[in-house]
Amino acid sequence: MKLKLDKKDFKPFLQSLMDEYDLFAPVQLAEGVSVFRKIGHPEEVDLSSANTQKPAKELFFPQSEVMFRYEKVGNQNQLLSMEEEKRERILFGARPCDIEAISIIEKVFVGEEYTDVYFLEKRMKTIIMGLGCNHPLSTCFCSSAGGDPFLRAGSDLFFIDLGEAYFVELLTEKGMAFHKNKFFKEADPEDLTLVKELEEKAFEKVGYAVPVEGIEKRLDLMGESSFWDRVHEKCVGCRICTYLCPTCHCFDIVDEGEHPCGQRVRNWDSCLSPLYSLETSGHNPRPTCRERTRQRLMHKFNYFPKNFNQVACVGCGRCILYCPVHFDIRKAILWTSPKRPKRYEER
Amino acid sequence: MLQEKIREKAKELLEKKAVDLVIGFGEWTLPLRTTPLFIRTPEGTKNLIWNSFCENNLAVYIHKFSQFKVGIVVKGCDARSITALSLEKRFKPGQLFLIGVPCQRMVDRRKVNRAVKGEILQAREEGDLIYVKGEEFEVSLKRDDFLYSSCQVCTHRNPIHADILVGDPVEESPLKEPYEEAKAFEKMSPEERWRFFEKETSRCIRCYACREVCPMCYCTECFVDSSNPKWIEKGLSPSDLEFYHIVRAYHQTGRCSGCGACERACPMGIRLTYLTQKLNRDVKELYHFETGIDTEAPPPLSTYEIEDKQDFIK
Amino acid sequence: MKNPYLPIRMVVKKAHVETTDRMLRTLELSFLNEEDAKAFRFIPGQFCELSVLGKGEAPFGIASSPTENGSLKFTINKAGVVTTALHHLEEGSEVGIRGPLGNAYPIDLFKGKNVLVIGGGFAFTTLRSLIVYLLHPENRSKVNEITVIYGARMPGLLLYKEELKEWEKRSDLKLVVTVDWGDKDWKGKVGLVPNVLEEVAPTSKNTYAVICGPPIMIKFTFPKLMVLQFPDERIYTSLEKRMKCGIGKCGRCNIGHLYVCKDGPVFNYAQLKKLPKDY
Repeated sequence: MKLKLDKKDFKPFLQSLMDEYDLFAPVQLAEGVSVFRKIGHPEEVDLSSANTQKPAKELFFPQSEVMFRYEKVGNQNQLLSMEEEKRERILFGARPCDIEAISIIEKVFVGEEYTDVYFLEKRMKTIIMGLGCNHPLSTCFCSSAGGDPFLRAGSDLFFIDLGEAYFVELLTEKGMAFHKNKFFKEADPEDLTLVKELEEKAFEKVGYAVPVEGIEKRLDLMGESSFWDRVHEKCVGCRICTYLCPTCHCFDIVDEGEHPCGQRVRNWDSCLSPLYSLETSGHNPRPTCRERTRQRLMHKFNYFPKNFNQVACVGCGRCILYCPVHFDIRKAILWTSPKRPKRYEER
Repeated sequence: MLQEKIREKAKELLEKKAVDLVIGFGEWTLPLRTTPLFIRTPEGTKNLIWNSFCENNLAVYIHKFSQFKVGIVVKGCDARSITALSLEKRFKPGQLFLIGVPCQRMVDRRKVNRAVKGEILQAREEGDLIYVKGEEFEVSLKRDDFLYSSCQVCTHRNPIHADILVGDPVEESPLKEPYEEAKAFEKMSPEERWRFFEKETSRCIRCYACREVCPMCYCTECFVDSSNPKWIEKGLSPSDLEFYHIVRAYHQTGRCSGCGACERACPMGIRLTYLTQKLNRDVKELYHFETGIDTEAPPPLSTYEIEDKQDFIK
Repeated sequence: MKNPYLPIRMVVKKAHVETTDRMLRTLELSFLNEEDAKAFRFIPGQFCELSVLGKGEAPFGIASSPTENGSLKFTINKAGVVTTALHHLEEGSEVGIRGPLGNAYPIDLFKGKNVLVIGGGFAFTTLRSLIVYLLHPENRSKVNEITVIYGARMPGLLLYKEELKEWEKRSDLKLVVTVDWGDKDWKGKVGLVPNVLEEVAPTSKNTYAVICGPPIMIKFTFPKLMVLQFPDERIYTSLEKRMKCGIGKCGRCNIGHLYVCKDGPVFNYAQLKKLPKDY
């Protein structure tokens, strides 16, 4: 169903959502820094940046999440499960790359034998209102990674900024339930034409320059390549790329507090940290940055595809924008392809 | 030109096999940015560049390449970090060859991004101007209006103790009062300081980029990772975030060169240099010590002298 | 929906120290809840995540066999925070358990075949589970010859010493216990496990080998198995890796595209050869 929402109705529309749901949208924490937060007032919503720093995954997989609480009384343990989310939630303003990433994480967390109940519960209780990218950045390569700037998949409602109004497409059953919203009007034919124009312009800008296709097979042959000796050199081993990556989902489980009570918490973790694979005996299967960088790239482009037939990268470009030493994953991908320059230093 | 001299010297070092590799700066994919390059062949040195976007402190790679003889391109602050590391015996004598570059002060790329509307697709430096071009704009900006705050107060732009200086030394005249950020912070009341510090650290995502890009943070087990004793948890509790940042700053006392790499690395835009500046200023006043100036004097917090001030003991 | 991260309550029924260096302690745990006890079904080779609330959780191979009804046995090596806490638990204390997790030894493949079990040091825990299972009257006839070679550095460091004595008396099992260094009371074999294997030279025809031990022992035993002409598909081992969730979600224990907690910890050598050496 193709509708539109005038911009003058935007804030009242958000308010109408907030009356019934917990609304999460991008807010600005500091100049140039935005994250998804629960909105207290429609004024807080900031859609001015191309993408947030922290990806939308934190709504379903928070950086720090209490799994359960416990009390120790003498020799006895009491476990207290966490309370369920009461209200339904709306995620507004997530870009197609972040939304696609959530379905990638879902492939791991919702399994045949075991299901991560914390993730699933949040996912079931959230309505996703995606926002298309009229102006992808030069660092975006979603199309190369199998997505595109206006990918509808995963969204319940999809918004496109037309200037004076938003084009709104209701996609799923959850989305259709909004067709009675008093702020939505029928979209005009001119709106649909403008949508097409914006889509074409964005597709052209993003292009297909990064050779992600076929990378799984190429990496199969590169297990012991000298490429790994060089690609890790400038990496300093911080966790920016993994924490800001919408698909990275590794976590650590720790107990906080003991007597008389405490909680078991899961926190984001990164395979780039030397502690990640360090065993109590002192043995570390991935002792240097070389092995860890290899693990990260292989997991994204070889191991994950082997298990789930999809690369674990959506081309959002955050790792390129925020890496303090300007590691560019596109260059690493290019290096695995036949198009690579002869020597690593050449460009 | 500085760039030519850097390439010449690097080529010479590699040809003579005086070093195994040269670490310098090169162009990569994004405008307004450079990347650390690791050159092992004389031909590769043609990729080395020098401009106002060489913002990283390359001294951090000494730890990673400790088994090699390394040539490093250093600015004033980077060279002082290396002197500090030598006092802490983090590398063997003769292991490093410092290619010193008198620093023209580095440009704050985030400030430049904020000055235009839209993504910057191309940038080039010419004299004292920076030309930036986007899809719908093309402007020239005055370089000096967009420098890093840590560069504006710098009084050691010339790398002392470098093995060679590839250009004429520049005047050590800071653009702003030294320790300006620390002084502004000191003017705040304790409540204002706490609110400022609390607000800044509340954005922290525990990525540890500030720690990893810092040449002085090389502990095999950082205090945040210690589980026995466990000082702080691994989550986002505000007191843990505050503890991490204040203690990391304290661990830099007498060791920090003020290079600003920590603040530049932070993806959440957290202000950090005011903390290290304040500590450096206190060290200068109490112990008359500045990091990386004297190659002999041990860092004040690693030594005890009978004459040390004790007036804080009441 | 069942939350796979919630531990089930168990209580320490009995505990005793196995080795003279006091680093290995066997805990016998029983379920507090009848239903949990009935629902817990496992196969030798599987592991559980034991929780000491407040300290953490760690994976341990199940040392008891499914044929030993009632309680579960785990042998804990004191190494870090969680294992030290497990060593200090008194009888009657509670622990949490999540499990059974992982794949198991391929018991079905062993039907009608010989089984060669090689164990070293304290990696013998899940091998005990396997041996007790195979020796059970219901299962013994399903496999042919069982040969067990078990070595430790010193006599005091052998696990399950009483049981080893019992097994030595049995005629339906060939048990060779060896130590790297003997002491004045030791009357048994002295020699490194790989060398003892060479000496015993069990047949590789129709035989499955299951080997668990420290990396150094495995490194030197594999070539001996090659010499005896064991094919890669019939050599099984149980890998250890740093784990957290134990159910294939947290990403920590992966080796290549396989997770040690979910697709392992039991792998055969043919599989391992195709994986990166991330262990």
